[in-house]
Amino acid sequence: MHRQNYCMARLFLILLLLPPLLLTGCKSDERILEKLGLVQTASYDLAENNRIKVTSCVPVIDPNSSVRRELLSTVSDSIKEAGIMFSRQTDLTVVSGQLRDALFGLKLAKAGLGDYIDTLLRDPSIALGVKVTIINGDAGEILAKEYKPHTDTGRYINHLLEKEAAGNSIPNTTLYEFSRDYNDDGIDPVAPIVRDSGDKAVIDGIALFQEDRYRMKIPAQDGIFFGLFRDDLRQGEVALHLGEEAGRPAVVMFSSLLNSRKVKVHRLGADRFKVELLANIQGSVLEYTGHHSLNKAGIRQQLERDIADVIMAKAKEMVLQMQQHNVDSLGIGIQVRNSLSYKEWNQMNWREVYPQVEIACKAKVTIKDYGKYM
Amino acid sequence: MPEKLRPFHIAVLMHLTQSGIVIFTLPRNLAEYFGTNGWLFLVPCIVVSTFNIYLISLVFRLGQGRSVFEIMEQSIPRAVLYPFYGGLAAVWLVFGCMIGKKYVLIFQMLSFPTTNPMVFKLAMDILAFLMITKGIYSISKAATLFFWLSAWMYLLMLWFFPSFRWERLTPFILKGGHDQLKGAMEIYSAFLGYELSILLFPYVNKNKKAMAGVHAGNLYLAVLYISLAIICFGFFSLGQLKKLLYPLLDLLAYIQFPFIERLENLLYGLFLFPVLVTVVMYWWAAQESVRRILPRIKLSLLTFLLIAISYSISFIPKTLDAVGVWITNLGYAVTGIAFGFPVLLLLLLLIQRKGGEVRA
Repeated sequence: MHRQNYCMARLFLILLLLPPLLLTGCKSDERILEKLGLVQTASYDLAENNRIKVTSCVPVIDPNSSVRRELLSTVSDSIKEAGIMFSRQTDLTVVSGQLRDALFGLKLAKAGLGDYIDTLLRDPSIALGVKVTIINGDAGEILAKEYKPHTDTGRYINHLLEKEAAGNSIPNTTLYEFSRDYNDDGIDPVAPIVRDSGDKAVIDGIALFQEDRYRMKIPAQDGIFFGLFRDDLRQGEVALHLGEEAGRPAVVMFSSLLNSRKVKVHRLGADRFKVELLANIQGSVLEYTGHHSLNKAGIRQQLERDIADVIMAKAKEMVLQMQQHNVDSLGIGIQVRNSLSYKEWNQMNWREVYPQVEIACKAKVTIKDYGKYM
Repeated sequence: MPEKLRPFHIAVLMHLTQSGIVIFTLPRNLAEYFGTNGWLFLVPCIVVSTFNIYLISLVFRLGQGRSVFEIMEQSIPRAVLYPFYGGLAAVWLVFGCMIGKKYVLIFQMLSFPTTNPMVFKLAMDILAFLMITKGIYSISKAATLFFWLSAWMYLLMLWFFPSFRWERLTPFILKGGHDQLKGAMEIYSAFLGYELSILLFPYVNKNKKAMAGVHAGNLYLAVLYISLAIICFGFFSLGQLKKLLYPLLDLLAYIQFPFIERLENLLYGLFLFPVLVTVVMYWWAAQESVRRILPRIKLSLLTFLLIAISYSISFIPKTLDAVGVWITNLGYAVTGIAFGFPVLLLLLLLIQRKGGEVRA
């Protein structure tokens, strides 16, 4: 009995002491949802004198309010400084824990994103899954614009990117992928580009970086070719023009793509390499406007070769451009590095070697099926 | 007859004692100090820790399961032993305390940036106090429960498979590192904790299975460390991994479900379990040592005093870096004890045996 009383007394003491201790302690870190401005999309642009224009989009939760979002914009010397300025503009506590998208203006991307990615990654409240997107133009303006019927431009762009990335026509670039490739020595980062086209925001293509600086763009319609030679794919579709037949364009729609990419590296001399990129592509043909019957095996095989030729020609052109701009967005350096010894790789300046590498793109196409019609 | 710890519970207890806060920095340390494929360095660590456990099991066998304190007190005068016990207790007490403080500081950085961390530390210490006063059997039972509560988290590693690429591991073996000796000590501290099994002798059945439990706990930990490290090396690029202070936190932060964002805050809370067991076990070890000096003192009072002392000490380092320095330096001492203590005991046992034979 005595022991039981003792235990009860101890329990009572703990229950009495602990809550006030914890409650008073955490008062300064109290977060009340209604008083928070949860930034979901933020944009960064290069302003004059190397300053930075930051625009943040905060959803308005109040059901009685007619507006669905609040825009905060300021010009400052750093991202975090902008945060301090924001809190002077609004009655909400601006926090970045729910940030989903970071939009960077093209000018800033050309000047280099490294420092800004650094800031975002340092903040423990920002996760690696924040999407990195380049805006062809002014990122703040596109975020401020209203695209009907979408009430929130940030979320509209987010969904647009998500859907397109699922189809592999653009890469899914988050802080994780960007910083991973930026910090790797044999690959350069890539990111999707979006632009304003009046009443819509549209995917403009893929931005290719050298280190953290934007160098060139792959147009949106060629995005899938880039994807085929960058990685294995589990999804995707492409419309291919196979020239003209009887005065009208012959188009083949190749969809539900499955692709496995292989890379072979041959060493030709001291700093000379030949790299073969092999894409093994399978898919369905769901539209064909040519004049041949798809049910004949010979015709299909010819079509497979034609498709492969178009893909290889596109890829060749793309690779040449990349070498001219000296961006190793396909990660050829990783493959070359892995074929060398540590010493050889370290002694070599990959940036200087890369433009001279002979790169051959090969595609093997298999038409798995051609729909449910003869 | 008092209840004895069973091999499974020993394995779980030792595993949780070993896995602590170091797991958060381990992949980066491997990349930083050992460079490409740094995870390979874990293999010698396993060999060394297994050898160390073998030494402890020799002590167990030669001493026929007697308490290590009894073995020492048989041959060495108490006047010499008491300062030694005091030293052991001090190192273990402060080591446990710093591990707890580091957990609290990271927790604070993530979730409560301006709250005084000592408030959380106090809450954690109260929990530890309640566990220690219940004795080693209850600690081991609680540890088993904690184990099941947190073990499923390792399945989350599957999440990273789609982004994992073997190419990123590179074919280079341990190239591009620096300060390997310092790194080796720091990385080895991730395995520490098994040495406390030397104090469990009076609480286990005197058969071989008891030490097999310690080995099992150590090997399970090694498998987890290696798989986590390989995932980090294939998921992050080497340059990136070197820049991430807490790669495990970043891994956790990468996990997103459509219905919940920022899962790492939740998951980090679950790491309290292994960290708490680590802290509790080091403090329990400290308490066992001090008890030999002050056998008459009431157990709960002794625990209270020790925790109060350690709580006061934990006020000293204020920053994560400072705590890191304390842990590194104490880690050297704890590693020294892990090897030196069993060797000392083995020597004593050999002398005692020889003496016994002479007397016979």
